Amino acid sequence: MTDSAVPKSRTKKQSLLKQIMTMPAGAILLVFAALQIVCIAGALAYPDDFRYLSPQNLTILMKAIPVLGCLALGAGILMIAGEFDLSIGSVYTLTAVLMASLVDGGMSAFIAAPLGILLGVMIGLLNGTITLRFGLPSFIVTLGGLLFWRGAVLLYNGAVQVRFDPEPAFSSLFAGTLLGINAAFIWIMLFVAGFYLLLHRHKFGNHVFATGGNPAAATAIGINTDRVKLVAFAIAGGMAAVAGIIATARVGSVQPGQGAGLELQAIAACVIGGLSLRGGRGSIIGIFLGVMLIHTITDVLLLLRAPGFYLDMFIATLIVVAAAFNHLIERRGAA
Amino acid sequence: MMPASNLLELHNISKSFGALTALRDLSFHIGPSEVVGLLGDNGAGKSTTVNLISGIYKPTSGYLSVDGQRTLFTCRSDSADAGIETIYQNTALVDSLSITRNIFMGRERTDVFGFLKQVEMRDIAMEVLEKAVHISGIDSPDKLVGDLSGGQKQAVAIARAVFFKRRVLLLDEPTSALSVRETEALLAQVLKLKAEGVSSVLVTHNLYHAYQVCDRFVIMSHGTKVFDVNKADTSISQLTEYVVLT
Repeated sequence: MTDSAVPKSRTKKQSLLKQIMTMPAGAILLVFAALQIVCIAGALAYPDDFRYLSPQNLTILMKAIPVLGCLALGAGILMIAGEFDLSIGSVYTLTAVLMASLVDGGMSAFIAAPLGILLGVMIGLLNGTITLRFGLPSFIVTLGGLLFWRGAVLLYNGAVQVRFDPEPAFSSLFAGTLLGINAAFIWIMLFVAGFYLLLHRHKFGNHVFATGGNPAAATAIGINTDRVKLVAFAIAGGMAAVAGIIATARVGSVQPGQGAGLELQAIAACVIGGLSLRGGRGSIIGIFLGVMLIHTITDVLLLLRAPGFYLDMFIATLIVVAAAFNHLIERRGAA
Repeated sequence: MMPASNLLELHNISKSFGALTALRDLSFHIGPSEVVGLLGDNGAGKSTTVNLISGIYKPTSGYLSVDGQRTLFTCRSDSADAGIETIYQNTALVDSLSITRNIFMGRERTDVFGFLKQVEMRDIAMEVLEKAVHISGIDSPDKLVGDLSGGQKQAVAIARAVFFKRRVLLLDEPTSALSVRETEALLAQVLKLKAEGVSSVLVTHNLYHAYQVCDRFVIMSHGTKVFDVNKADTSISQLTEYVVLT
């Protein structure tokens, strides 16, 4: 036989750094760890000027992360399946307004919140059905959704703020603390763990990656790609509603304009976290690190009293650099 | 199995796409433990035949039979159920997933909740890669398929077919993207599978590769069969003549 003499592999053993860099969320993990080291060192060196480690600041961070986190998890799974949802910011507001006004009308928040999630799931399914039935780019369909549901909020509620006054049990479930940790942060950790299991350890996750990575192959092997995408759309809508509940429980009111731009931040977090815009690539850990990174940078710039536009410019640079880096890795993989 | 019962037979198959008749009255069979070379120049109808056998196209007229039973494939999974696996040049693999996950794609081993039995799948993949399909350079089933060469990708696709006990492999232009070494390994693989009772159809331009491993040759031209001959009764020059001149 010809293959008795196996030739020596010509690829060198890669350094640990390179191995980490090529892992799905490796690069972002390095950036995140480096940023944390710098921040913590800075906070220890200048505890009075740079209050990064102060309990107040950590609480602010823990409260801020879950909202974007929920949105990004939903949007990210959909992106891995190869589709987009730009309507999640509007859905987030709409479902929160619905829940708050139902509670205002006397309904228990424990019933109103699931109704809000149900509405989010239904809108996700609608987005998915239109996209798949007519073979349209989900970008366009959900851009329509973004404007439509934003308008629907104003139609349903007008441009006024809605008070959210749930029973205390509901408030403490979503906005209280457990062992000093913010309840919303515990929720997001649970969601991260749950979606990690779903995407990386469950059959469904394998089908999501296949659907986004090579739809023709997935179909050829007998995976119902339309159904996988539809479920992913539903998850994106449902998680937008969950984000709405968490945000509303924290603030105690809903502003009709509050969701604008959040969909883009969620997609930005996903891209920073290593997701491919063409689908098939990414990880739950990456998405979460992307969210954490955006919020850490926001927080640091606020602590340094930098004007708000620095924040936009910083995040913008990060997105483009992350996308370029991901593309580089993808091309290497495709070669 | 009785020699009279062929694994797969095509009976008077015709296929038209609008005004174009791609296949005309095509009949041939694939026997058990047989490697058939499906030869012909560009436009002879080879790819249409492959798509028809793998269930992607339905014939305009005529029918197939599997183990002597008359049937029609209406979709890809019908042909898979009959034990036929098509291995395309651009194999149906997902680059961003590992070899293990690709082998078990759509047929995952899971517990009752649908969670993947990762260790079990990895062990099987390792074993299949080591024993059934030996192609050098694949040392771990955790490698991403996107990092493999063309030949290694085909090896993974073949490993998948082997593990899921396919009886007929349809290899569509398998050697066109491969290195010399990989081609040799692939052809050796086809013979090894034949010894284990798996038939293959080698769809190719390359008469030399076909001549090396095939037991029988079916030559197509203008959408129909023009020659069907056992290897013992022919030569490369005669095959070339039929491919070029008909």
